[in-house]
Amino acid sequence: MKNFYVKYKREILVFVATLILCVVFTVLNPQFLTWRNFLTIFQQMVLNGLLAVGIMFTILTGGIDLSIGCTFAIVGIAVATCTVGGMNPVMALVIGLIVGAVLGLFNGFLVTNLKLQPFIATLGTMSLYRGIAYVVTGGVPVTNVPDSFRNIFNGQIGNSGIRYYVIVMLVVFIVAHVILSKTRTGDYLYAVGGNEEAAKLSGVNTRKTKYIAYIASGVCTAVAGLVMLASLGSAEATAGIGYETNAIAAAAIGGTSMAGGRGTALGTFVGALLLAVLKVGMVVINVDSFWQYVVTGLIIIVASYFEYAKDDFAAFLARHKN
Amino acid sequence: MKKRFLATFLAAAMVLGVVGCGSSSSSTTSDSASDSTEQATDAAEEESAEEVDELEFNPDQAEDAMTIDELREANGVEVTVNSDWEIGVVMKSLSNEFWRTLQEGYEQASADTGLAFNIQATTDESDEIGQQTMTETLTNQGVDALLLSPISDSNLTSAVENANDAGVLTVNVNDGLIAQAQHYVGPNAYMNGQLAAEWISEKLGDEGDVAIVIGMAKAFAARERTAGFKDWIEENNSGLNVWAEQNADWDRTKAKDLAATWIQQNPDLKAIFCNNDDMALGVVEAVREAEADILVVGVDGIGEAYESIRNGGLDATVDSFPYYMAQVATECTLRALGGQELPSAVATPQALIDADNVDTDPAELINWVAPTYVTE
Repeated sequence: MKNFYVKYKREILVFVATLILCVVFTVLNPQFLTWRNFLTIFQQMVLNGLLAVGIMFTILTGGIDLSIGCTFAIVGIAVATCTVGGMNPVMALVIGLIVGAVLGLFNGFLVTNLKLQPFIATLGTMSLYRGIAYVVTGGVPVTNVPDSFRNIFNGQIGNSGIRYYVIVMLVVFIVAHVILSKTRTGDYLYAVGGNEEAAKLSGVNTRKTKYIAYIASGVCTAVAGLVMLASLGSAEATAGIGYETNAIAAAAIGGTSMAGGRGTALGTFVGALLLAVLKVGMVVINVDSFWQYVVTGLIIIVASYFEYAKDDFAAFLARHKN
Repeated sequence: MKKRFLATFLAAAMVLGVVGCGSSSSSTTSDSASDSTEQATDAAEEESAEEVDELEFNPDQAEDAMTIDELREANGVEVTVNSDWEIGVVMKSLSNEFWRTLQEGYEQASADTGLAFNIQATTDESDEIGQQTMTETLTNQGVDALLLSPISDSNLTSAVENANDAGVLTVNVNDGLIAQAQHYVGPNAYMNGQLAAEWISEKLGDEGDVAIVIGMAKAFAARERTAGFKDWIEENNSGLNVWAEQNADWDRTKAKDLAATWIQQNPDLKAIFCNNDDMALGVVEAVREAEADILVVGVDGIGEAYESIRNGGLDATVDSFPYYMAQVATECTLRALGGQELPSAVATPQALIDADNVDTDPAELINWVAPTYVTE
């Protein structure tokens, strides 16, 4: 237990902050504290959570993937077109994941083989992918996605209100956690982000590792695209504009260092959860829309300050123990 | 060390304080619905008054505004066309169905008049500088009139001033407002909201909680549609109660999430008005998932909205018929070029579409009479 605390100080602090927010919202409107509302919060963290865990992989290597909002749109359009055309829903789902992986692979190619800075490379693909989405659809949304596909994600367990896509998100987070903390690939990802030269010298295949990060980002984004498609039943080229900023915010709040080398799946999960609590809570207590931007911004800044505060907190506890 | 710890807590307290202030300034919460009604409508009145004051020019409130029928009545049906006139059009992104339909309307007008139209559109909805460049280029080419649908209220300001100086007739067609443009032609966005409120009131027997999904908080169309909706309720002493309003940035997923939260917060929610169809279609999904019985009304009349109305999803939309809007804009422009007096604002046709009239020919709904052009 103590080990867990030492290892996940940051995550625990953010979680505590989330709980404090919940208490505040409940005091302002007791309706906040209902089982159905918690289901709503979990449902609404899914898209951002999936995008955040994806982008976290690239941030861990010291990179970034700005193209996720556009990959999100392309996957939605591709899968919508397939399913509307009568393709087997599972087949379409696999195609969606492949599309995401390929778009991520291309980002990886730009970053490793062409040695472009990740920010610039994905800024380019951000526009490129969005353009492809417009060109392919001509701006016309793809609608009437059959229920056979939608139910894969949108169905619920019994009558509990727990939708499959929440489970899907949890599974993705668990897989990400296992990769990062239990496998050699995870170690390499941290090593590349911590000090690329040192990693290279100690025999890490840094190119392969970066490719893995961008492909992982593409695949996680693809899962988000599939969930969006199932949830809305239609796909359009304008979907996901600006979603990368919220994903970065979730990862950052959860303790992912923008310089790379530091961050956990658990932290990103808690970060996305905090943003979802904030989003739902402010609707529940009916905060004016303008103020929502202010509050969200302040929370990001304050949460990032935890980076320093956690050390103080540990020192504070240590002092009071003696 | 201790100081930093303290600072963190102070910062946290500040954030919580902001949350607290925010909530107390907005007056509608579910548990005090009855007495907050009055406050809410008061606030609504204040807000809409403020919003109108903010604008230098508001075509929705222009005193000399006319409809195309009134204009034809005042100036005669025939429009004289000089075959030497050149018309320039600057639009927003053709990735949006609305602008594509507007373009079709211009093409129809071009065919009717025999004039060549130089139509320019940006690649995306945020290319403000690109639009400015297009406008400058067309002015330099020596067009006689410019029909402009700007992205924002300000991105074409200087380009329009230059065009005015060069003696080009400048007409603002829908969307962003250019105070310097000589005329405005477009749907009355305020009336979009009024039509929606009237329809919802009728369907609900004039009682029940309603909510509004706003587009981009500062966008003119979003502001006017919301104000029109709330003012209608106020002016008609309607029993409808505007229980909540939030913005969703014209984004379908955000609108869906917003509606999902509302639905589970307020089981008495009876209707949701959205500032556009895209958001309304997201809300429809939230209503369907919650298996709730809630009316959803959008604005724009995009193809997907029509389809959804036919399938029993969306309940209604307010269509501004861009295809006819472009033709009205062209007719007005040519009348002005021919020397006729044109009011500062011309309101283009709009109609509320629901399951009853979804398959009616729009030309019939708005009593459309094609313009009569006579070439000199």
